[in-house]
Amino acid sequence: MMLSLITWAPLVGALLVLLIPKENVKAIQGVGFLASGVSLLASLLLILSFDRATAGFQFPEQWSWIPSFNVSYHLGVDGLSFPLVLLTTFMSFIALIGSMGIKERVKEYFFWFLVLETGMLGVFVALDLILFYVFWEITLVPMYFLIGVWGGPKKEFAAIKFFLYTLSGSVFMLLAILAMYFHNPARTFDMIEMMKAGATWSPRFQELVFLGLYFGLAIKIPAFPFHTWLPLAHVEAPTPISVILAAVLLKMGVYGLLRLCYQMLPAGFAWFLPALVVIAVINIVYGALCAMAQTDMKKMVAYSSVNHMGYCLLGIAGMTAAGFSGAVLQMINHGIITGALFLLVGVIYDRAHTRDLSAFGGLAARLPVYFGLMALTCFASLGLPGLSGFVGEFLCFLGAFPLWKWQTTISVLGIIATAAFFLRMIQKVFLGAFNEKWEGHMPDMTPRELLSVVPLAVLTVLFGVYPKWPLDLMNATVVALLRK
Amino acid sequence: MQNLSLLSPALALSGLAVLALLADMLVPPSRARNLYHFGWASAAGTLAWLVAGLADPASRGAGSLWVVDAYAQFFGMTILLALVLCLLMGLDYKALPERHAGTFTALMLLASSGLMILVSATDLLLIFVALELVSLSSFVLVGFERGNPKSNEGAMKYFLFGAFSSAIMVYGISLYYGAAGTTHLIRGAAAPGPMLMLGLILILLGFGFKASLAPMHFWVPDAYEGAPTPVTTFLSVAPKIATFALLVRVFVSVLPAAQFDLQALVVLMALTTMTIGNFTAFFQNDAKRLLAYSSIAQAGYLLIGLAAGTGRGVEAVMMYSFVYLAMNVGAFAVVQAVGQEAGSYDLSSFDGLAQRSLGLALAMTFCLLSLAGIPPLAGFMGKLYIFSSAVETGHWWLAAAGLVNSVASAYFYFRIAHRMFFRAPREGAAPVVAGPYIYGAVAVAVVGVLLFGVHPEPLIAGVRASAGLP
Repeated sequence: MMLSLITWAPLVGALLVLLIPKENVKAIQGVGFLASGVSLLASLLLILSFDRATAGFQFPEQWSWIPSFNVSYHLGVDGLSFPLVLLTTFMSFIALIGSMGIKERVKEYFFWFLVLETGMLGVFVALDLILFYVFWEITLVPMYFLIGVWGGPKKEFAAIKFFLYTLSGSVFMLLAILAMYFHNPARTFDMIEMMKAGATWSPRFQELVFLGLYFGLAIKIPAFPFHTWLPLAHVEAPTPISVILAAVLLKMGVYGLLRLCYQMLPAGFAWFLPALVVIAVINIVYGALCAMAQTDMKKMVAYSSVNHMGYCLLGIAGMTAAGFSGAVLQMINHGIITGALFLLVGVIYDRAHTRDLSAFGGLAARLPVYFGLMALTCFASLGLPGLSGFVGEFLCFLGAFPLWKWQTTISVLGIIATAAFFLRMIQKVFLGAFNEKWEGHMPDMTPRELLSVVPLAVLTVLFGVYPKWPLDLMNATVVALLRK
Repeated sequence: MQNLSLLSPALALSGLAVLALLADMLVPPSRARNLYHFGWASAAGTLAWLVAGLADPASRGAGSLWVVDAYAQFFGMTILLALVLCLLMGLDYKALPERHAGTFTALMLLASSGLMILVSATDLLLIFVALELVSLSSFVLVGFERGNPKSNEGAMKYFLFGAFSSAIMVYGISLYYGAAGTTHLIRGAAAPGPMLMLGLILILLGFGFKASLAPMHFWVPDAYEGAPTPVTTFLSVAPKIATFALLVRVFVSVLPAAQFDLQALVVLMALTTMTIGNFTAFFQNDAKRLLAYSSIAQAGYLLIGLAAGTGRGVEAVMMYSFVYLAMNVGAFAVVQAVGQEAGSYDLSSFDGLAQRSLGLALAMTFCLLSLAGIPPLAGFMGKLYIFSSAVETGHWWLAAAGLVNSVASAYFYFRIAHRMFFRAPREGAAPVVAGPYIYGAVAVAVVGVLLFGVHPEPLIAGVRASAGLP
């Protein structure tokens, strides 16, 4: 029941929000925090009873949903999905704190935000393909409205491009799911059954279905060449929504790659592996180079996501325990670090209404707290040892090297580019002479802003010095995944 | 004339229609509104009668030119439900002349009676008579706003096209008679041959007119735009669904399309219908025209079930028809409310609706998302059924084309959502205040869209129980 509670609490909150008159902003925000908080608390409580030694699915819930099609309401988490559930509830709550700055049409905003949270959580806990697909699609609609109403200057175009791009990917995923259904003699959409049946399918069929699934997942990840929606959507979205996009939505793609493609279509996955590693290298190097070319700080962070998701893909392509653990850990770390980066960029944008790198200078002396947090997150993102980003990236490289020596070597170059653009940003924005234009417009961070960023910074340090804790959560499952 | 009593719900509806016509002469104009109430009450009464009779096996059986089976009863209920909702919408439609309330009601009832006979018919003669009853009533209904030139234009186009397609169909029927020696569908031992083929193709085109399938869809946008909105709603739902019931009966059960090599034609029609519908809808700036093209596209999806031609395909057509009823009526009801308030059906009437009336805007969004097939709404479950029937029979490309079309359709459905949520309301635009009956129709539709999306099992079970065809 706990998983249902975690998943549905935000939706209940969303429905309650609809009942509150739109002038009553305090009540709307209160209900939003309450609903999201219930979800967060429940997921934290679940850590206590989560058995780290078990590889299989825990806390299962299964009820018949559409018996005519053998579709069931089947939930469960394992070491792969549970960390992502925690990431989702946590980042959603952080993003809600960031959403306190939203002043327009608060009621609609909270409604869509909470619907979105239910959709994201559902993707990670669903163990039935139709249920999974339903949740997968539920995330699209709120995102469309959240970008389109509360976004930046080109928000409307960004919203529809995001929507159509991801929808066209997911319909092919649906086609692949239907093909698997009719190919499975048991005629079921149950994911556990599908994992058992999948290995027996002919390689040719697996390859075709893999392509269908991959098309939908690659757009979400986003893997080159399907990444073009991402910079636009990230830049135009309001700050909290950029946080959610980067921290959670992209993870849905990587999660699907492991859960659906790898676990259900092993032969198809093995067949695609050489291409996947090339895509990973392109994501890493090309993403970093693109980020280096940006003058808009938010766009730079957006491209750094393309780069970081490349590390995840590289880790997965290694097909080793280190690589898989690294990929999952990198997902968590990227969620926390990039979430913080977007929040921090939002802080400066709220004050200056520009994100141009060259518009600032010498902020370090004027905003010491802001500078400290920004420097910490940037160093974490570029993989400085001692901070969390390093552990994930290192494991990804370590895991991929035995199988893909050259490719991993090229990828390491990506780290240099990453370091280059982050350091350049720090230099241009924080060091040098202060731009007198901002005199008096640049107070340091407010308590609300600190409240949303500091927890992320703490986790960044914590996971950097003690990565054993998150790794223990996923270890048993990762080992079992590879033994198959 | 054996077992005429099987058709008694449809005949009773005709009788009530005649009653409404007579009453029209006697009721003074100030009380004429009561005739609308009489209309929806008769429809609801007939529906209740039909539902109450379901448990009785004697309500089903075969007659000389008709057969009433669970399949026909399912569609009979669907048609009556559409009729009730559209008549309710008519109560809040201001442009209808009060003076002709009886005529309006009578024509709607007569058309539905024709449709109910149509879904039971097993003889081409009865099919033709029933279709003509529907067509003639709808021609008048489309032109009911006499003062509105668009209404007149729509009625004229509809009539000319209808007469043309009737002629084509009669020609097809005569060829069928030549090949089979009878007009009866089940009893005729039709020998496959060029004459029969041609006859069947012409009959298919004749049906295609009513179901708005390409290439017989040209009347749709003009008639839908000009007709009073409740009539548009009715036309977009009831005749289309009934014609699909007939198409399935004829081309899946009695004369399987695959057996006569017509499957390729059906696939081609499905492809062109949905593609033309969706890609023309991109360029529409009138809400009713946009939904008109959308309803053409929806007919294309339904044809996929027909192209599959299996039991699952039949079930898919039934399920999707029912779901389509809910989402289309909901969308048109909101369009009527908003259009009436703004005095125009231009898409700009929707500007800022979310800030004016959030409830209506969300209802419209749900219906549009359902039409686009986004889960967890009923339209998704319907499409899942349709596409799974295509995948099961190996129509990979058809399923893929249908899915790509769904993505394309999302674009123009979102043009309305875009205006409702992203645009600011026009200067002085007030919240939309619709009548209680509109709200009722919207509420029923939205509940259907949400309920059958989240919990489709009862509908699927009902469809499976009634899908057995002779």
